Amino acid sequence: MTGPNMNDEIRWRSQLRQLNGPVQPARDLWPQIDPRLQTPRRRVRIASMAVAASLAIVCVASLLLLRARSHQSDRGSAPAAVVAIARNVQTAPGSHTALVWALPKNPTLAAAAHDLDDASTQLQHALQQHPDAVFLVGLLNRTNAQRMRLLREPFTG
Amino acid sequence: MDGIAISMNPGLPEAPTHSAVSALVRRAATGDRRAFEQIYRDHVGRIYGAILRLVGMDRARAEDLTQVAFVQAWQKLSSFRHESAFSTWLYRLGINTALMDLRSRRDHDALDPAQLESIDLGEVPFCAAERGDLERAVSALPPRARAVLVLHDIEGWKHEEISVELGMAVGSSKAQLHRARGLLRLALTAGT
Repeated sequence: MTGPNMNDEIRWRSQLRQLNGPVQPARDLWPQIDPRLQTPRRRVRIASMAVAASLAIVCVASLLLLRARSHQSDRGSAPAAVVAIARNVQTAPGSHTALVWALPKNPTLAAAAHDLDDASTQLQHALQQHPDAVFLVGLLNRTNAQRMRLLREPFTG
Repeated sequence: MDGIAISMNPGLPEAPTHSAVSALVRRAATGDRRAFEQIYRDHVGRIYGAILRLVGMDRARAEDLTQVAFVQAWQKLSSFRHESAFSTWLYRLGINTALMDLRSRRDHDALDPAQLESIDLGEVPFCAAERGDLERAVSALPPRARAVLVLHDIEGWKHEEISVELGMAVGSSKAQLHRARGLLRLALTAGT
């Protein structure tokens, strides 16, 4: 770039730099911001309640499903999955981390069940680290729902 | 910058010290709204100013995005690591909020390649402009080109940073800047 052009370039750029700097909004925005702030404790409580509620739904649904199946089969001992879930519900009420699912007999499904259990554990851990991440609750619900579907395999297989 | 407590001008209020800012942020992170309101008051001018320039001086949109940025800042306060300057962290968050909005409006950001390719910067001599004229000319640029020009020429960002935030190649950022400058200068010289 030659002398005059270079000078022009510098003047153009320095002119744009004038636009830098703070600008106060015409009105105070705080009254609109304040009501949208959730306190951290409230966020934790909401997330914890959501997890607890979702897991309670999974447990109740599993028990109902398995009870219906046991009625259909007249006599005989309760399936292992029923025992496993019932034991969990009885011994660890409200504790989602203690939930242990029965493994399907089919080796392929058992491997998938292991993967889902690992995913569920990791999601619960992530949720503890980021209690305001609502999408984690959704993922956890989906993971547990898939895991519950695998439970049906021992009775149908 | 957060870290300077010495005021060179006795007529201006002193900037809060790094430790004072850090204490304020820690209080806000535990849910102290008053502390966060103080943070808002200390920083709103810088955040709003940058967003306002990025959205083409659309004040209503800039106000909405500033509110979104502060709400997000509140939600993410616990993830702030105190090794870096809080004002920089908050400023980047504000810029990202505006750029997210820009990306969501990509359909409205159609550049006219023929118009842009025809610009020859070397032929546009310097033309002094009033601040208002300059702001209007920047506002009239296509959104993506305006974002690159604002970030590079006004906010002082590097092309590498811009390319990451706008999801484009470094070369594209440079080309957009070249074109934005050309359009801007043509607009200003045409107005004289």
